[in-house]
Amino acid sequence: MNGDHLIELKHLQKSFGPQRVLRDVNLEIRRGETMVIIGTSGGGKSVILKHCIGLLQPDGGEVVVDGKVISSKDHIDVKTIRKRMGMLFQGAALFDSMNVGENIKFAVREHEKQHSEADLDRIVAETLHMINLNPDFRFKMPSELSGGMKKRLGLARAIALKPQILLYDEPTTGLDPITSDVINDLIIDMQAKLGATNIVVTHDMVSAYKIADRIAMLLDGRIIFVGTPEETRATSNPYVQQFILGQRKLGAETD
Amino acid sequence: MESSRPPDPVPASAQPIWALILDSVGSLFLRFIRILWDSLSDQIARIGEVILLFLRIVKRAPWFFVNPSLTLEQLIRIGVSSLPLVMVISFFIGAVSAVQAEYQFRGFVPSNYLGTAVCKLVVIESGPVLTALVLAGRVGSAIAAQIGTMKEKEELDAMTVLDLDPLRYLALPRLISGILAFPLLVIISDFLSIVGGWIITTLVLNVTTATYVFGLRFLFQPYDVVISMVKAMVFGGIVVLMGYYHGLSAGAGAKGVGQASMRSVVSSCMLILIVDFLIVYIAY
Repeated sequence: MNGDHLIELKHLQKSFGPQRVLRDVNLEIRRGETMVIIGTSGGGKSVILKHCIGLLQPDGGEVVVDGKVISSKDHIDVKTIRKRMGMLFQGAALFDSMNVGENIKFAVREHEKQHSEADLDRIVAETLHMINLNPDFRFKMPSELSGGMKKRLGLARAIALKPQILLYDEPTTGLDPITSDVINDLIIDMQAKLGATNIVVTHDMVSAYKIADRIAMLLDGRIIFVGTPEETRATSNPYVQQFILGQRKLGAETD
Repeated sequence: MESSRPPDPVPASAQPIWALILDSVGSLFLRFIRILWDSLSDQIARIGEVILLFLRIVKRAPWFFVNPSLTLEQLIRIGVSSLPLVMVISFFIGAVSAVQAEYQFRGFVPSNYLGTAVCKLVVIESGPVLTALVLAGRVGSAIAAQIGTMKEKEELDAMTVLDLDPLRYLALPRLISGILAFPLLVIISDFLSIVGGWIITTLVLNVTTATYVFGLRFLFQPYDVVISMVKAMVFGGIVVLMGYYHGLSAGAGAKGVGQASMRSVVSSCMLILIVDFLIVYIAY
């Protein structure tokens, strides 16, 4: 393995019934970078993320995280690797039956037994501070929160265990432009504070240009382009141009 | 010169009516067999999945001692919350049993045996079975809906990502609570059914308390209570397991969650009656 690459996807293939979602995905993610994966809705971007964290097993190919294959049948290493990862789900996936504080504390309490309840309360307050929220929010139930706040709290829960790899599934989808920008700033902020490697799946190009070190485009189950935001803007690849310009037809003029 | 042209097929209208009917019945029968086979093989696969799920939960049993509070919480949710429903139903089951027994016995069986009939019916059958059937609707469907919604909202994935095993934190406490709560509920149900029978026999059927109690004690066997408790524990396990399994296999959206709830109730009720027969057959 190249020492610079923290995550490697090698010839990844995945089908759901007759539908082949990933045909041959090859992608390397460098340590400490923010890799944004763009592509059409339903194209398999979230499926890639779920392979990276071991929620899905590929039909073919390998997922290598920090030199360890986590996609083999016995996947012994998945649990070890998972403890170093955090994930923000598309709908935040907060535990509805728990308040905000409990959502953040739950995993910390189970994995770091040395903490007292006072320590856990301090961790909750610190985590909420990191995502620029008042500590009083810990008493609210998820049903009382707006979409943007749920996303921020999903992020708070993901970072409470100080992960080295953060996965974001459509972090700005369904949010207004201003709240989206708040989330973008948080993603950049988390990278600076935690030094984490980020993989972000989105089809929001404003967000992609703002947060990405590199952008990869998924089309028809394959990564067809990888480049910096500048390279993405300047590429002559017609499929990437079609996507970033939001054209309905390949090579069409924008209205 | 003779023509080598093959003969024309007989037009459908020219076929005798009995051949047409036979053809239709035959194709319908084949279709029925195919649907039956598909359904049967699907059910066998599902039984395999349920057994596998049960074994995976049992493998995590030692974790019960690490997080007993989770089980206690479920015990309250399954047991205490179901209590009012079980109490009302049990009381009336006892009352109906007494009225029916009196009607059936009238004229040739002395009223001394009214208590015996109520006690036997309640302890052996109606206590565990009816309580379990009612709780399949209340507890099983609630578990299926909750797990199905958690799956739909990616909460189960979120738990897995946080290395919080859903089987350990969700399935195990519910299964243990079901196995523990059902026998307790059945004991309460048996008691209230007997009380219901007593109130009706003394107030409406003009039977004295002493006669009713004589009947209760006559032919009473502790073995019946033991079998009743065994049934309750097994039924508790079935209801929780079916709820969890159907929640996990719920389809997308409100429709998927609704169907999962419905399937959990239907499969629980079927299994309760089948297993009831097996236990009775083995035990008696």
